[in-house]
Amino acid sequence: MGISRFFEVVALGVKNLLRNKLRSFLTMLGIIFGVASVIAMLSVGAGARHEILSRIQELGVRNVIINSVKPPAEIKPDTTDTQNKDRYGLTFEDADYIANVIPTVETMLRVNRITQRLWYGSKRLEASVLGVEPAYLRMFGLEAGRGRVFTEVDAENFAKVCLVRRGLVAQLETVEDPIGMWLQIGGFPFQVIGVLEDAAFRSHTRKALNIDSTTQEVYIPYETSMRTLGTVTLIERAGSQEFTQVDLDQIVVTTTGESEVLRTSQMLTAALKKLHDRVDYEIVVPLELLKQSEETQRVFNLVMILIASISLLVGGIGIANIMLATITERTKEIGIRRALGARRRDIVLQFLAETTAIAAIGGLLGCLVGIAGILGIVELTNWKAVIAPSYVMLSLVISCTVGVVFGIFPARRAAQMDPITALRFE
Amino acid sequence: MSRRVLELDKIVKTYGTGDSALTVLHGLDIHVEEGEFVGIVGASGSGKTTLMNIIGCLDRPTSGEYCLNGEDVAHLDDDRLSLVRNRSIGFVFQSFNLIAQLTVAENVELPLFYSRTPRRERHQRCLDLIEAVGLGHRTGHYPPQLSGGECQRVAIARALVNQPALLLTDEPTGNLDTKNGEEVLKIFHDLHEQGRTILMVTHNAEIANKLPRVIEMRDGLVLEDTGVGTGCLLSSGVESTAGVVS
Ligand SMILES: Nc1ncnc2c1ncn2[C@@H]1O[C@H](COP(=O)(O)OP(=O)(O)OP(=O)(O)O)[C@@H](O)[C@H]1O
Ligand SMILES: [Mg+2]
Repeated sequence: MGISRFFEVVALGVKNLLRNKLRSFLTMLGIIFGVASVIAMLSVGAGARHEILSRIQELGVRNVIINSVKPPAEIKPDTTDTQNKDRYGLTFEDADYIANVIPTVETMLRVNRITQRLWYGSKRLEASVLGVEPAYLRMFGLEAGRGRVFTEVDAENFAKVCLVRRGLVAQLETVEDPIGMWLQIGGFPFQVIGVLEDAAFRSHTRKALNIDSTTQEVYIPYETSMRTLGTVTLIERAGSQEFTQVDLDQIVVTTTGESEVLRTSQMLTAALKKLHDRVDYEIVVPLELLKQSEETQRVFNLVMILIASISLLVGGIGIANIMLATITERTKEIGIRRALGARRRDIVLQFLAETTAIAAIGGLLGCLVGIAGILGIVELTNWKAVIAPSYVMLSLVISCTVGVVFGIFPARRAAQMDPITALRFE
Repeated sequence: MSRRVLELDKIVKTYGTGDSALTVLHGLDIHVEEGEFVGIVGASGSGKTTLMNIIGCLDRPTSGEYCLNGEDVAHLDDDRLSLVRNRSIGFVFQSFNLIAQLTVAENVELPLFYSRTPRRERHQRCLDLIEAVGLGHRTGHYPPQLSGGECQRVAIARALVNQPALLLTDEPTGNLDTKNGEEVLKIFHDLHEQGRTILMVTHNAEIANKLPRVIEMRDGLVLEDTGVGTGCLLSSGVESTAGVVS
């Protein structure tokens, strides 16, 4: 069939659809919603995937993060001692072992964390003070919105400098410029050199980095924290005091390559099992989170395909149903065309062109509805969506296929009619 | 020396099978030469339309031989029959059978569409024919906007557009008043003069009387045939049918 003839057949199909606009539109509805849901689900799925991927990449695919975890409270022997000292979590020995024994470790970053009182003039806050190495700030993209972050020079000099978050500044209710402000932490004076951007503290990252409070982290150089605040946190309750000692809150291990991550995490698991007599740590492997999310994605995709198939099936059945009615209505026309020399396949093509045109136009409208829906969803929720041209193409291909598949039966039925009977039909 | 356009030998048509079988045509022999204008008359139910359907390749005989233009068409498959209908047969029906949703021009173009004639040529040819039947000013109109006579003239234009070897028409004036009927008949007579081969079923004795050759059917057989030949029987043999048909 020549290209111009093809267009002529399609044009005839479209013309026939325009003859009964309302009915054609109603016939399309199934396809419109089917395609709209396909597009919406593809885009939202891709958006979620993209989001998770970028979050995991923020944590570093080559990294293995080990956090200290407070083990479930043990049944302690009943004592009248009001001073309890609890020691758990990662130790300096762990860090030495990891750095010296495990071969696939490229770099290792230590994090110390102490809960301390923070004084600003007469104002007092409970602050979570994190002692981190400058490389840690770079690795997790903690940047100063104002001022500067501390560097290796500050670390070497045990400089008493700190980085605070905007929320903390707000809580201090100061009119003073926060940069250069002096804070008393654990009895030591620290100077604020920078205010951190909030962008770095997204929920996912925060969870993996073991940052729980939202506003009150204070970052100081690791070396400084070891020399000044130490590793013991004092928790005062009514009538009792509790000390907890955690050497290292977190160890971030960067492996020599992505392919070494799994092996490294296995070696770490084995090593920590040997070094600890209880599980007071957790190992987070961003690469595995990635794999998990891919698994979730697969399930999501399956559900999506199922829903889309059902709505397209319903749409297709709608088309077939209306076409059967149309064919009965146009029996006489079919008879006339056959008498004038139309072959069976000419009749099949004519009706297929109509169903395919319905489906294709429905597909296009569905894409528009779907894209509008996505924009609405993105506007109203904090979901992310990625609209790719390939989704539009895919949807159009699918809807045309639906048009052909569900058009075949009515079209063949039209073509099988006996011309004489069809001609006599009134 | 004229060519033989139509050659029917012992055509039998039986509808249904077994007990309910009904044989409508009982072995018809009809030969028609090129350029003849043949009327077919006969009582209602005598099988005229059945015969026309077979001649028009809309239907196949149960048995017998049928040659159209020297080609055996009794045993063709559906696709080939469609091709024969398209190229060699022009139908003019009693009820016009125009497609109401297409314009006059589009209706006339239809056979050319199925013969895969290039679009531009199609357009020119159908315009010429519409002009010839006197409807040049109505090409863009739709059939429901036309009178019965005009519709039938469009149908004639459509039947002629592929230059068929045979023009078949079953009661072309049945749905028309006298004046329009006469106009349509005049077109057929003009076509005959131009050398076209025409088969026309009619109930009207007056019309049959003016035809050069008349075949009378009864119960699926040829009762009387006024003879093969172009115009040679204009003066004789027509009276014999007149009485029977009325
Ligand atoms: N499809 C069919 N199935 C069964 N019987 C049929 C069929 N078509 C026609 N017949 C029968 O064949 C016989 C001849 O019918 P046909 O239509 O050929 O007659 P006709 O001569 O054209 O009559 P009229 O002058 O009324 O148009 C009739 O008895 C009719 O009932
Ligand atoms: Mg009849």
